[in-house]
Amino acid sequence: MAITAVSTVTTIREKFPQAVVETDDFRGEQTIVLNPASLVALCTYLLKNLRYTYLSSVTAVDWLERVPRYDVVYHLLSIPNQSELRLKVRIGQRNEDHPFVPTVTGIWPTANWFEREVYDLFGILFTGHPDLRRILMPMDWTTHPLRKDYPLSGFDLPEPHWGGQVPYDVDPGVGSQTLRTPFSRELNESRSKISQNQEPGTEKRK
Amino acid sequence: MQKQDIKTQYMLDDSQSADGGQRIDTMTINMGPQHPSTHGVLRLILTIEGETVVKAVPDIGFLHTGIEKTAEAKTYHQALVLTDRMDYLAPLCNNLGYSLAVEKLLGIEDEINDKIRYVRVMLAELQRLASHLVWLGTHALDLGAQSVFLYCFREREMILDVFEDLSGVRMMTSYICPGGLQAELTPTFEKKVRAFTSIFPDRLQEYHNLLTNNQLWIERTRGVSVLKAEDAIAYGTSGPVLRGSGVVWDTRKAFPYSGYEQFDFDIPVGTNGDVYDRYLVRMLEMEQSLRIVNQALEGIPPGPYRVQDPKIAPPPKWQITGRMEALIHHFKLYTEGYRPPKGEVFVRTESPKGELGFYIVSDGTAKPYRMHVRAPSFANLEALPRMIEGSLLSDVVAAIGSIDIVLGEVDR
Repeated sequence: MAITAVSTVTTIREKFPQAVVETDDFRGEQTIVLNPASLVALCTYLLKNLRYTYLSSVTAVDWLERVPRYDVVYHLLSIPNQSELRLKVRIGQRNEDHPFVPTVTGIWPTANWFEREVYDLFGILFTGHPDLRRILMPMDWTTHPLRKDYPLSGFDLPEPHWGGQVPYDVDPGVGSQTLRTPFSRELNESRSKISQNQEPGTEKRK
Repeated sequence: MQKQDIKTQYMLDDSQSADGGQRIDTMTINMGPQHPSTHGVLRLILTIEGETVVKAVPDIGFLHTGIEKTAEAKTYHQALVLTDRMDYLAPLCNNLGYSLAVEKLLGIEDEINDKIRYVRVMLAELQRLASHLVWLGTHALDLGAQSVFLYCFREREMILDVFEDLSGVRMMTSYICPGGLQAELTPTFEKKVRAFTSIFPDRLQEYHNLLTNNQLWIERTRGVSVLKAEDAIAYGTSGPVLRGSGVVWDTRKAFPYSGYEQFDFDIPVGTNGDVYDRYLVRMLEMEQSLRIVNQALEGIPPGPYRVQDPKIAPPPKWQITGRMEALIHHFKLYTEGYRPPKGEVFVRTESPKGELGFYIVSDGTAKPYRMHVRAPSFANLEALPRMIEGSLLSDVVAAIGSIDIVLGEVDR
């Protein structure tokens, strides 16, 4: 029997009844919403038994007003069966700033960079990821820009130093994003003045 | 992030290496973001032992402009121009992917008539030709065949002339928009396309004569940076990289969009997964694209160039001074924009670089709640370390050229 997206949803519902939270069919696209705990088991089943060998992308959506806050979305493709599927996991409880999700890098190696991007831009941590560090933002960036509470044009920078080095005789303020040297936090820490528009999470270097 | 971790990952310092400095003959060098052969602002931190690359760590993000974040602040029609700038060598293909996704979200896929479909296919294939010409020119230039570069750009100028004729813009046209095309076809565009298609087969043969059976080229590319089929699928590569490794997969055939099922074309597939196979796949793809352009040119049916629904497509300018509804629709569309229903779509298209996917989440308002672009170069670049670890330093240049990355797409 040919495996299609619709038949996949039915099979998953039968095999993993407690894992599936809901399924959706919008414009012909099948979505399965899962429990985070059963993500790895279900993905291994999809890879090994239903031959969803290709992971197109891993991304996230920030629903600021909703608890759980984030949707981590996986787009799968089965090359032998020519079918596509979307998996979603809802994470992020009320006061959880960096929610956890198990990684699928062991199942699809391509998830490595996609999950790094999701960590970088949303702050979602992937447990078991071999190399979870920032990928698009500078390595010493502290916040997560694609979150809905991060402003579009970023936080205020000390005028007029947008980008590039701050001159030696001007106090850049703690949390300034203009300094590009990786150990800039130590340089700033020694100055007592804190900028009014300090970026959240930059008070102390961990 | 611990200071130590940053140092070992990014800094050029061997004293902290995992093996305690036993491999005293490795050197960590930086193929910096400014480099003529990295095809953009790509930084590679290579650990080499003599000439052999032992470890390669790509460092990206130098061209990150926050397109996905910006799209959340624009209406659907305004976000169209952002999509041009991602894969900046194939803007029309980005526009096509985005337009298909928004049309699917709106539910107006059936209202896109055949004329729009044919023109979109023709423009997408012309854009594929333009992108592959840039790839060929720059790849050959990196490997030393400097004359191919200007020949390719000479042909590409003719394609850019077509785009300029249709939309007034050579590259970032935004000509394909949700709802159809931005403007009617001009009377002169067919002549320009025919001028191109009549000379291009000979030019393509010229490139083959220069490179395909050239001993120097073969020695530089055959057996270099092999990517096996299982690795290609596991690392999420797509497009000519995936097909060069022997996997028969093309989104235009598997999930046909915009009328591709009505066109007759083949998909070239390689066998070894080396640079030479990827080169040959793209050369043959150019031939097939030309075939599609010719077919499209023969039979563009008459019809409107845009959906007639005034809630989605603005009415023609001449109606605005005479009719109240036209004025109101124009005003509402350009100030507020159309509001798709709540939901999400993921539409994949075959861009010249690979599988370009647009994941758009709508919450019922006039602005996309989330627009995520699945960039093919991002996943293809992820497979780069796998391809070059173990090969020579000079093969790194060949490998980067063969995967045909565009950093605008990688970083967004």
